Formats: sequence, C-alpha cells, structure tokens
Amino acid sequence: MPKSVRGTAPLLPKGFKMLEPLVADWVLPDSRARLEKRLTTPPATIRAFYDAMLDKAPKALSYLAERQLGELNEAEERLLKLLLSLAEMGPAVEWYGTGEYPDGFDARRFKLIEQMPDNAAQGARP
Amino acid sequence: MNAKEKISAASTFAAQYPELGTGPVGTDVYCDPAFYERELAAIFRRTWMCVGRVEQAPKPGDFFQKALPTFGYSVIVARAKDQKLRAFYNVCQHRGNHVELRQRGHCVGFTCPFHGWTYGLDGKLVGVPDASGFFDLDKSKLGLRQLALDVWEGFVFINMDPSPSQTLEEAMGEQGRDLVGYPFDSGTAVFEYEGTINCNWKSMIDSFCETYHVPVLHRHSVKDTLAGPDNPYGRLIDCRIKGPHRTQSVWGNMAYTPNPVQGLAWQNAPGPAVTSGVVDAAVKLPKGLNETRAKHWSLDVTVFFPNWIIVMGSGMYFTHQMWPLAANKVVWQMRGFLRPATNAAQRFGQENSMVELRDAVLEDCNTLERIQTAQDEGLITEMVYHDHEIALRHQYHVVKQWVEDFEKNQKKKGKGAR
Repeated sequence: MPKSVRGTAPLLPKGFKMLEPLVADWVLPDSRARLEKRLTTPPATIRAFYDAMLDKAPKALSYLAERQLGELNEAEERLLKLLLSLAEMGPAVEWYGTGEYPDGFDARRFKLIEQMPDNAAQGARP
Repeated sequence: MNAKEKISAASTFAAQYPELGTGPVGTDVYCDPAFYERELAAIFRRTWMCVGRVEQAPKPGDFFQKALPTFGYSVIVARAKDQKLRAFYNVCQHRGNHVELRQRGHCVGFTCPFHGWTYGLDGKLVGVPDASGFFDLDKSKLGLRQLALDVWEGFVFINMDPSPSQTLEEAMGEQGRDLVGYPFDSGTAVFEYEGTINCNWKSMIDSFCETYHVPVLHRHSVKDTLAGPDNPYGRLIDCRIKGPHRTQSVWGNMAYTPNPVQGLAWQNAPGPAVTSGVVDAAVKLPKGLNETRAKHWSLDVTVFFPNWIIVMGSGMYFTHQMWPLAANKVVWQMRGFLRPATNAAQRFGQENSMVELRDAVLEDCNTLERIQTAQDEGLITEMVYHDHEIALRHQYHVVKQWVEDFEKNQKKKGKGAR
C-alpha cells in the first residue's frame, strides 16, 4: 500500500512492523538517555523489551549491516536506536536482572562527557 | 585450552621482583593528607601528563582544551600555522581570565572575553584594545604561558615543570618503546566517562591492576570471561615491571559462550571486544602487548607512572586517568577508543562495548569508597598482598621512592645554594 494512502510514513523499515509498539518508549535521543531509561524502568519492563527485541535483532542487524551511518532515513534510524537501547539493556538482563546496580553505586555519578553520535558517519580507519 | 597449561610462566612474581618484598604494606600513603601534598609537589607538578591525542587538533587553527582537575585550571593545546602543537595555560596575561571557553574548535587565535586581549595560535599577544592607556606595555613579555609539550604514539603530553627532569621519551622508557607500533590511531570512535570517587588516586589505579577480585567482585559481569574453570581465581598471565611502570597481562576464558545480546554485539562490532578473548590476526601486536604471547590472553593493563593507564586488546583500547583532589578523593576519566563502524550495525557493537565497560567499572567503586573509609578511620593500617597483587606493591614502592628522592634532591639543592 503506498504511503500516501495511509497518510503517514512507516515508523520502521519494511519487515519490522512488529517492533513499532516499542518505538514510543525505546527510541531515545542518545546514550545518556538510554542509561537514564535503564535506571528508571522496572526490571520486568526491561525484560519484556529485551525479549521482544532479541527475537528480531539478528534480522535488524543484517538489515543495518547493508547501510551506512549518516545515510539512514528516519525509519532506519529508529530501528538503529531500538538496537542501541537493546545494547544498553543487555547487561541489565544478562548480568544483573535489574536496571540498577546490585551493589548500589549510583551510575549517575559517572558522567558521559563525550559520547559517540548515534547516526553520524565515523570516517574511514586511518 | 589444555587445562594443564600453566596460567603464568613465573613461579611467583615475588621471586621475579624480590626488591618489592612480600611483607605487609602500610596504608599511610593512601590516606595521609600530608603525604598527598608531598605527592603533588614531587610527582604531579613535575611528571608528564597525557592531555589528548594529535587527532583532536589535526589542522593549523585547531585547538582543544583539557581540564586538569587536580590543579583547577585547564590547558589549551593548539596547532599553529607552523604545524607545531603548543600547550598554554588558559589564562589571560592581563587579569587571569580564560582566553578560550570552547572545549574544542578552530580559530585564528584566542580572544579573552573579559577585555578583548587577543593571542595568536603560537601564544603571542597580538592585540590589546586601547593599548595607549597602559604604561610601558611590553607585548612580547605578555604571551600566553606555555607548558612543555611532547607526543608519544599520537598521545599529547604536557609537563608543568618549566624544565622537566626527564624528556617524555625518557619518562615513557622501555615500557613506552615496547608499545610502539600499536594502531592507536585506529581508535577514532571515542567516548569518555568521568566520575568523582571518594578514594585515593592510587587505590583506583590498583583496582585495574589485580584480577584476584574478578571472580568475586565482578561475579555478575566479567567473572566468566576474565576467569573461568581453568583459572578460577583470575590469576594473571604475567606482570612486568619496567622502571616506574607496570603491565598486567590478563587471562581470557576461550571457552566462554557470550550472552545473547553480548554475542550479537561481538558479531557486529568494528573490532574484537577486549573481553571476547578474540585476537585480530591482522593487528601486529607490539613486543610489549601480551609479551609472553600467551594463547589464552584477553587484554593488557599498562600503567604509565604516575596516573595514566592504557587497557589494550587487539581490536580496541581505552585509557584511565586519575586526577587527585585530596588524599581521599579522585576524578577518574575513562576514554574509550573504538575503531570506526564500517556499517550501521556496528554502532550496536560499539554501544554494547561502552556499556559493559562502564558497568564493570561501576562495580569497583563502592568497594573503593569503603576501603578509603576504613583507611581514613584507621580500621586497616596495613595490607597483605597476594602474589598476583604485586602491581599494588610496586605502585606503593615507586610512589614512596619518587617522593623521597625528590625531597632528598631538593634538600641537596637547598644546601648547594647556601
């Protein structure tokens, strides 16, 4: 169906419609926002996101492996950002079972003073 | 790996480095405010400090700033038209305001935002508004104050001693020579964390220098990658002491099966993660990296005295830098250097590497603050070290020796002057 018929562009690239319900909560501006999301989200909600994403992650990564940072369209960038949220939530599920740290050191005491942009060309390896 | 293969070649590190002894070590150097002041004078004000990389200012007119939390001020590193990099205190010679507020950028010179004095990229004072109102103004004597600057393998170092006792090359010594050739310039995807931790700067260095704690403190995270059934106590492959510097080669569990997200991240990364145990065969390891050429190797932790650490694998590296604020407070900075992503999926691997690294360091910090409290309160006055904690013993001896030698020399100089 052409986009114009529905009047809205798809949120995610073709083939990833099942992940669209995650977009509102899990497409976040940058690495700082993703840590904050991890620290303020209940473990069961993190787990549900993790499970939903993990299922489709190999396919999404194959899709993005054919594309370049800085050249993604909006839908593709959202898909990348869902994966980046998964990268942050991975250890929360796989290491700790919770977004907060088991021994209680406040993760906010580490400031990310320089971060890698989510979707910008990184240049060639010298 | 053959389970019978020895983890490390050395029978004991103590036998290899008998001068370090085996007895308990005092905690005084970790918590005594008076000793901290002596360290500042003897060490921090006169050793080479890393402030960045040449890629941060590749073209004439490029500059970057680096704050030195220990001293409260910042330095500007700028490349002038003659292609030379110079370092200046970010201090206007009129009244002392900062001449540059941006952290990095490109410019033709620096203009103090207080009264508009302007300086060239070479630090020379070039413009003074309403100059005729000053008395005997000698512009040639009012350039930005310069610091000694030198470069090792693309890392820019400064020294606040106007006539450093050692060149940077001498200071980096054998340890520096043994790492020459590592592709440091390939780590162009950069991130940096900073935190203020209530512990001594040396304790934080120590926490990266022994892996005896890995199976216990890091039981949720890297226990099964940097330790494992063949190395249940996280013993080191090797510890090499070269002058004031030290390197630990850390064992890797080749039989480790990554977690699901971690595994996807490792597959979609521009280079092997430091904990993956995978070595990129395309990278020629310099002599000083995994020097024993152990097969079950994951990473090396090299401490360059006094406050700079490089943690290196074959596919990525990161640095730690400690800036003490007091005997029991330190600003810690961790800068990650990842290869650039060659496709959009590799951004995922980069993010996961960054997150796992941060999480593992977060696990160290409560322990560091508890140790500090115990030392400050005199609840522990001596530490007994395991053979594989030899790097801690070495740091203790080096720091003490450095302070004592400096003070002896100062006394001698004082006598000579009389």
